[in-house]
Amino acid sequence: MTHLLQIDDLVVDYASGGRTVRALDGAALTVEAGETVGIVGESGSGKSTLGSAIGGLLPGAAKVVNGAVRVDGDDVNALGPKRLRALRRERLGYVFQEPIGSLDPTMRVGKQVELALRGRGTKADVLPHLDRVRLKDPERVARSYPHQLSGGMAQRVAIAMAMAGGPEILIADEPTAALDSQIREEVLGVIFSLAAESGTTILWLSHDLPAVAKRCSRVVVMYGGRVVESGSASEVLAAPRHPYTAALVRAVPGELAEGERLVPIPGQPPVLDGPSRGCAFAPRCPDAHEACSADRPPLVSVAERDVLCHLAEETVGAGR
Amino acid sequence: MTWWRESDWLTRSGLVCLAVLVLVTVVGTVFGIGGDPGAMVGPRLAPPGGEYLLGTDQLGRSMLPRLFEGIGTTLLLSTLAVLVTAVLATLLGIAAGYYGGWLGEVVMRLVEVLYSFPTIVLAILVAAVAGPGQAATMCSIILITIPLMTRVVRASAVTVAERDYVTSAVISGAGWPRILMRHLVPNLSGTIAVQGTYALSVGILVEGGLSFLGFGVQPPQSSLGALIQQGSTYLLTAPWLVIVPGIVLIVAILAINVFGDGLRDGLEPREARSLV
Repeated sequence: MTHLLQIDDLVVDYASGGRTVRALDGAALTVEAGETVGIVGESGSGKSTLGSAIGGLLPGAAKVVNGAVRVDGDDVNALGPKRLRALRRERLGYVFQEPIGSLDPTMRVGKQVELALRGRGTKADVLPHLDRVRLKDPERVARSYPHQLSGGMAQRVAIAMAMAGGPEILIADEPTAALDSQIREEVLGVIFSLAAESGTTILWLSHDLPAVAKRCSRVVVMYGGRVVESGSASEVLAAPRHPYTAALVRAVPGELAEGERLVPIPGQPPVLDGPSRGCAFAPRCPDAHEACSADRPPLVSVAERDVLCHLAEETVGAGR
Repeated sequence: MTWWRESDWLTRSGLVCLAVLVLVTVVGTVFGIGGDPGAMVGPRLAPPGGEYLLGTDQLGRSMLPRLFEGIGTTLLLSTLAVLVTAVLATLLGIAAGYYGGWLGEVVMRLVEVLYSFPTIVLAILVAAVAGPGQAATMCSIILITIPLMTRVVRASAVTVAERDYVTSAVISGAGWPRILMRHLVPNLSGTIAVQGTYALSVGILVEGGLSFLGFGVQPPQSSLGALIQQGSTYLLTAPWLVIVPGIVLIVAILAINVFGDGLRDGLEPREARSLV
């Protein structure tokens, strides 16, 4: 059976100034049509690289060392330029972090939406698309240049452009990180309702675990270039199986009773220059034992949950 | 025009000087003010004033029409050459900055080889190969101005290529012609315009130098460089032959550079400026 998105053991290296940095260290992920997936991880965990890899958009300095990304069974890295273009045009949509930066400053917004529609609509179809993302006064927006829009408006336009082609997968890379907190919810609402209407699968890359868990059906936690835990949002948040997820949950403000202390995660996230020998989280893990820093943890699947941890079975056994 | 209101007096005066220079030259040439530039009409080496406003040269040709022709030749040659440079440098810069890879390496190495030649040596080399004349002058200006412009365009193209709107265009299935013409060129146009003005002043300087050395514009046609060269023989007896085209050359280059600075400040706002 082919999955909508299947990422197998993906290894990506960045070469910079004679140094190699491993951004993805065997990431694996499978997504079915219609899912809303939140990919959570801190800066450097590889989530943005993963997002770029799906569209074959890795920069020139990046090299896919191993593994494959398959969209509807098509290996993205093996497609010819023509088919890759078709895949991007027909199946993928991206929303980026910086709303103003995702619009061309030299072109009116309406023209840009029209270009994003290419082959699927004309000038007359621009306004409905702007209307769909709940922009007030779409005609004025269409006539504007990007610098005349607020961040929230620009991000709505970017969403309209990403959704214009009716993509199968919408990859949103921290789409609200640059926005004011009151606009965030509105923008997220627009993304999720549009995607629900058109049956688009969402991959939302974020570092905000509770926010992701609130809207997504599934949460995927990344650490050190690997997917360390994946499962239904409510379960992952309520009963994290991977020590890193557990630490993330403990470090979230707002979930705690008054007087309770937030628990920071000690140490720094790793910068890999090759495959990590053991579990990348071992140096910071409170429960680590010898095997953790010696062997790469295997994938353990228990009850709809995938966990990449030597201790996973124990924690299951202990009923934690 | 908002641009005019936001510009400072220096930029404005540069633009005005340039406009006046071009206007006077065009009017003077079109209406044949001062007569035929090639005709030997008066006494030799007559001082300015009277019948011959700017005097006459060693063959008795009136200097005023020769100056008009000279400015026209110089500006036309330089402008044409810089236009060619702008097109080539834009394509090369984008090839190096956006596409990169081995193509970028080859382009940049070639550009660096060109860059390493001293200006006038390169110009003489071109004149020696192609034979002195207008074609050699234009080729020289193109070869001399291309390296710097390509490097600057490349640097800008590298940053523009990383912008999300370029990625968005790629995602929406845009082919390279659309990305090139719709996104890269418009967003690089400011850089290209600014570099173009600098290249223009370099072009005028190269024409002057090359013609002064006798490799550029050939007699009887005049250009600013050719006028200065011909007049230099009579520097002590008839200094106006050199002084007038010399002043025009200086004013033209100064005006273009000052205008270019203003253009850069307007089109490429720097953080340093916005903090003031």
